[in-house]
Amino acid sequence: MLKDITFGQYYENDSFVHKLDPRTKMLLLIAVIVFIFVSQNAVALSLVALLILFSVLLSKVPLKMYFKNLKAVFPIIIFTMIINLFYNASGDVLVSFWKLSITTGSLYRAFYMAARILLLIIASAELTYTTTPNDLTDAIEKLLSPLKFIGLKNAVHTLAMMMTIALRFIPTLIEETQKIMNAQKARGADLESGKLIDRIKALIPILIPLLISSVRRAYELAEAMECRCYNGGEGRQRMKQLKYHSNDFIAFAVVVVVCATVVAVNMIL
Amino acid sequence: MSILEVKNLTHTYDGNTPFMNDAVKDVSFSVKKGEIIGIIGHTGSGKSTLVQHLNGLLKATSGEVLLDGKNIWDDPKKIRLVRSRVGLVFQYPEYQLFEDTVYKDIAFGPKNMGLSDDEIAHRISEICELVGIKAEYLEKSPFDLSGGEKRRVAIAGVMAMQPEIIVFDEPVAGLDPRGRADVIKMIYDYSNKYGATVLIISHNMEDMALIADKLIVMNKGELALFDTTENVFKQHEFLKDIGLNVPMVTQVMLALKEKGLSVPDDIFTVDRAVDYLLTLSKGGNHNA
Repeated sequence: MLKDITFGQYYENDSFVHKLDPRTKMLLLIAVIVFIFVSQNAVALSLVALLILFSVLLSKVPLKMYFKNLKAVFPIIIFTMIINLFYNASGDVLVSFWKLSITTGSLYRAFYMAARILLLIIASAELTYTTTPNDLTDAIEKLLSPLKFIGLKNAVHTLAMMMTIALRFIPTLIEETQKIMNAQKARGADLESGKLIDRIKALIPILIPLLISSVRRAYELAEAMECRCYNGGEGRQRMKQLKYHSNDFIAFAVVVVVCATVVAVNMIL
Repeated sequence: MSILEVKNLTHTYDGNTPFMNDAVKDVSFSVKKGEIIGIIGHTGSGKSTLVQHLNGLLKATSGEVLLDGKNIWDDPKKIRLVRSRVGLVFQYPEYQLFEDTVYKDIAFGPKNMGLSDDEIAHRISEICELVGIKAEYLEKSPFDLSGGEKRRVAIAGVMAMQPEIIVFDEPVAGLDPRGRADVIKMIYDYSNKYGATVLIISHNMEDMALIADKLIVMNKGELALFDTTENVFKQHEFLKDIGLNVPMVTQVMLALKEKGLSVPDDIFTVDRAVDYLLTLSKGGNHNA
């Protein structure tokens, strides 16, 4: 059950998308997300969808990985569709009961919203599949670095370091949770059945050891960092410097063209 | 009559993904009631995966685990009953302590079995006597204890369920020599008192030589050897090949043998070595 969480898991491969600069990927993801919402009609949205599909194919990450990711958000998509199904009264009435009615307009709206969420998830999943967490935080640190001119000199580095550590420890925490769950199950803990209250109570033997070991781990990590003379961002250099290559400019160009087309389509239709 | 039987057990992690690997491959063995079995093997040889099948924490990809001749998965709803009959003590069990007193923590397992408060109190006093937890400790917080004491409390928590079979995953890892001896004695005493069958994973060959009747040797997920402790340690060259070793005192004896002394190759404990060397010096057989 805990093993099924794949969001934010790097999928090692060698592809055009993997080799892009993480800053490029991040900026382009932001652009794509913005334009998912800028698109005002199906034609514009399918342009963005095509762009995302194209990049997914370029990433050489198996489509299965994406589907696995979508399974988790499926209930949210269904929920959104149902809500939207009743909230738009334009077009012809298809079905009507009680005070609710489904119209062609609301049907269109429901699928449109579902497509938006789907695209959002796929696009952000692609970033995490093709970029290591460390590259991601490097990119965030670099992209936020202008903040130091407004007096937030150390904050950017601290934030990036905190994110690196948090990301680094997600798998560790999952593993730890699994271990503790197994240990308590071996002592006869019942985690799978019973009333809601019982199930919540059953979490106590798992959460307390988890909390204690996290605090212990944090102390140990802080000590280990101090032993290696870590004292914040000042004067620190990177072994791996981020650099834009020609591929990054190609990617930027493609996305800019698509975004411009989306704006044009919005205005025309 | 064997109490526990493992038949052609195979476990594959992450099947059908690029990370797929066989952690345990076609392992079969059977254990008689009251036996103490040591499980040795290199890191990543599948020992921990293997033992998690014995109480149904993991389900085998193929093969089965028989408890008293019955497949433990015959009735999946009764798997918790199996877990009270086959106790499992994980590595560093002290990290799973969570209650505010030692008493409550030891009582967690028995309570999950649905025992009455009287029975639980009785079992706890019995087990505390066996493992040497003093009565005044019972009302302390487990987090105020030392590392070795925490370990003993955690093990007592599983022992209080009085499982017929109890499995330990590296019970002495990270303890000082005194703590190690205490834990090994606890395990031995428990097995003696309740006639319980014990399986122990350990990297410590000295401890294995002391208490194990038989040894299971795991190598790359497969069962390489399953024989009496004596017969396994006699195959020191094979053990070395797969990255394991014999007890240190046996290594000394083997070195003596290489120098030309006529040393038997079944000396695995310091006591026996001392006895042997004494007879050697008394017998005046210096040139042998």
